[in-house]
Amino acid sequence: MKNITVIGIWVLGLSVMLSTGCSNDKKTEVQKTAEKQTAEPASRNQEESQGIVLLRGLPTLGTQHSIAIVELDPESQKFGDILHEFVYEDFEHPLHHLYYSPNGRLYATGLDPACSLAEIGLHRDASGSPAIKGMQCLDTQGQQVGEDIMWHTVNGKQYMFVTFMGGTGVSQADGGSIGVFEPQTNAVVKVIEARRSEIPEGAPYIMYPHGISAYGDRMVVSSTIHPDLATGVGNALTIIDLNNFTPIQNITIEDAKPVGFPSSPVEVLFVRPEISKLAKPSVLVNTMFGFETWQVPYNEADKSFGNPVKVYDGVSSGTGVPLEFYGTETELFISHALPGVVKRYKLDSLPELVSSGPDIQAEAGAHHMIFYPTQSGRKVIAVQNNLLNLGNAADGDPTDVDFIAKVNDHSITVSDLMTGERLAAVNFKQRYKKGVENVEALFGSGFVHHH
Amino acid sequence: MFRTLVTTTSVAGICIGLFGCKQEPLTATPLKDFEAPFVFGHFQVPADNALTVERVALGRLLFYDPILSKNNQVSCASCHQQARAFADGKHTSVGVSGKPLAFNSMSLVNLLWGPQHFFWDGRAKSLEAQALVPIQHPDEMGQDLDILVKELSTHAEYPSLFAAAYGDISPQHIAAALASFQRTLISANSRYDQYLRGEITLTDQEELGRKLFMAHPDAKASQRGGNCIDCHSQFVTAGFSTRLDGFSNNGLDVEADLKPGLAAVTGKPEHRGLFKVPSLRNIAVTAPYMHDGRFATLAQVLAHYNSGIEPSTTLSPLIVEANNQVSDTAGAISLNLSESEQQAIIAFLHTLTDTDFLTNPAFSDPFNRAQDATAQVSKDAR
Ligand code: HEC
Ligand code: HEC
Repeated sequence: MKNITVIGIWVLGLSVMLSTGCSNDKKTEVQKTAEKQTAEPASRNQEESQGIVLLRGLPTLGTQHSIAIVELDPESQKFGDILHEFVYEDFEHPLHHLYYSPNGRLYATGLDPACSLAEIGLHRDASGSPAIKGMQCLDTQGQQVGEDIMWHTVNGKQYMFVTFMGGTGVSQADGGSIGVFEPQTNAVVKVIEARRSEIPEGAPYIMYPHGISAYGDRMVVSSTIHPDLATGVGNALTIIDLNNFTPIQNITIEDAKPVGFPSSPVEVLFVRPEISKLAKPSVLVNTMFGFETWQVPYNEADKSFGNPVKVYDGVSSGTGVPLEFYGTETELFISHALPGVVKRYKLDSLPELVSSGPDIQAEAGAHHMIFYPTQSGRKVIAVQNNLLNLGNAADGDPTDVDFIAKVNDHSITVSDLMTGERLAAVNFKQRYKKGVENVEALFGSGFVHHH
Repeated sequence: MFRTLVTTTSVAGICIGLFGCKQEPLTATPLKDFEAPFVFGHFQVPADNALTVERVALGRLLFYDPILSKNNQVSCASCHQQARAFADGKHTSVGVSGKPLAFNSMSLVNLLWGPQHFFWDGRAKSLEAQALVPIQHPDEMGQDLDILVKELSTHAEYPSLFAAAYGDISPQHIAAALASFQRTLISANSRYDQYLRGEITLTDQEELGRKLFMAHPDAKASQRGGNCIDCHSQFVTAGFSTRLDGFSNNGLDVEADLKPGLAAVTGKPEHRGLFKVPSLRNIAVTAPYMHDGRFATLAQVLAHYNSGIEPSTTLSPLIVEANNQVSDTAGAISLNLSESEQQAIIAFLHTLTDTDFLTNPAFSDPFNRAQDATAQVSKDAR
């Protein structure tokens, strides 16, 4: 693991993003429709096994960024086929993560400063097939490098919260913001910012926020890494009081430094009754460069957070770069980019990580995932294997970084959910000359808890 | 791309017309600018009845043409009126015989999605199969199909329209054309649709109603709910696409009075009193309500769900379970919503009215217009 260095990464400039994303934890209109339509396997909704993916054009291969609908049923003749593709040419950097709102509207965060957040228009043509009819970049009031989105209701009012790792300008060394949007109009309600250079020494700060989760009137965001991957790396969480949208506390999440960098907390998950009635409320945190998973106990009565406890150690377990949390009705899944594996735990035992079954062997860069049934009713998991969609020196790609190239398989692998057995894989670089940035289930996200 | 003429030789088929069939080529103009909301879900059109401009235009004429009935006075539109979201405002419909039918007319909307079972009891398996039922029913249109085919074959315009759309005139093609027109009856611009698209914000009362409509009550967790979504999850389209999902007994009648309902189709005693959960789109304009039109207003519907549920062996357990109060007097099945909560649900139901749909010229009576109906339909087809 010594060769994991961030040296050289800064040549990449601001475009380089750590991609970990999420969606809301409530079932969307789209999911509800899908569920009802799939109550009986005999008349299964065939779109359930379709994924919507963000593809990155690779500079040396002459391809363009696009949003594509891909068949992911390993039992289908069309496995891996792009069923529909919407190419967008206006931006140098691609869209980053897809999310369905609770009302079934599709959004994407973006890496290009000109499009840090977008709403994507989906519709159906006369054959009934889904098609993408366009995308609209939203006004973020200057916030850049959108990462995660979470819809959350506080004091009876729903908001769309977005983490912007570049804050109100990637040129800021200590930037980062949470955009609070009115979910109907997409208008910015508030920009939550607290740059260290602009607040009193020791006051709670927000820096490079990426992961986001909330319970009641408390929100947690992580401090991950400056978008240029060079200016700075974070090692803490920020607690935000949602009654007044103000940061109230920082919690340092750090122990050993296996690669010599700050821990870089990435995704966070507020374990709360909505996720499991039995689990104790607490915050789970993956540290990208610490290779660990931590839990921070939460006392609901006085709304206080306890001391962080390490619950998973990657170095001793042979894994690195833990990224996402995804939950089904009964299990929590955590992806580890190295060596490319998804581990699973009993939801009701959280915040303890009690194994619930065999690992899902993915590929280097194991990252986002979706769950769905195949035609025959077999339950499967598809994992998108790419930490960052950058090039490879072998292709003469100027965006090559050794470390990154090693955690980029450019594939989606599909495994049996029960046994972990690999059923199929599609390599987007080989097949389409593109990188795969993110995957979301087209019709029914297939997971219920993500933030 | 539009005006692409896909020319297919019409395969001989069976020609029923008295005057034989001219072997004219089909003209299959794809519907241009067709658009449907993604969230409605996938739909499938039968492979042998793809939507074309010609078929939809023909179907619209037939739908509004009383020539389909025995006395040439009743058309489909007699009982399915656009301004009423294609219901008829009567308790139970009346056709050629003047004898009231057993059932309340059904709204025709978003039929592309959902049902593989049409009618209140689900006895028709496709729109094509459904269409021939009212035509022949002695109380509805009372028409003999052979006679109808003859009449259409001697008509000044229908032969060429059928030739272009299907090749020839047959009961199957009459049904197919009617089905094609009905598949284009898409409603997607109610206030609720606009809300889903983020174009508007609901009022506080509508929003409360929306939440109650969507929530299953849990008195212990102080979660209030109207429980409607448990059965009406496909309320913006025309029902459920899976087998017999979407038929239930919502407590209208006591055991002794249960009508056969779905049992008329399946023969299963446990299906007695189960009826199709209908679309709630445009519900504010489709009174009276329920399969027999027993409720004149939405307030009566809410009063029924709130405290008028009749027990029976086939009553939906989803209704039995739902209560906003921790305990009730023994045996009573009651939702226990407050008056203002019921009003809020009604306000929400009103957001489902789509005036664009109710006035869309493409769905209107072509015989009321001076201009050529076919041209009008192809112009408006979407
Ligand atoms: C005399 C009144 C009357 C006429 C005429 C009539 N209908 Fe109906 N229609 C009804 C009634 C009543 C129902 C519900 C009947 C039932 O469930 O048995 C119904 C149901 C339907 C349905 C089922 C909708 C659903 O969601 O299940 C369709 C489709 C339909 N009619 C189409 C037509 C067409 C097409 C025509 C003309 C060929 C037509 N109707 C003529 C009264 C009529
Ligand atoms: C147990 C399932 C169930 C639940 C729960 C339920 N409904 Fe219904 N609903 C039905 C069925 C089935 C029908 C048709 C019944 C019939 O006519 O026999 C119906 C009919 C209706 C109708 C009349 C539709 C028409 O075209 O005539 C309205 C309005 C309606 N429901 C509203 C509601 C509302 C509002 C709620 C929540 C307060 C609700 N329903 C809860 C099953 C349900």
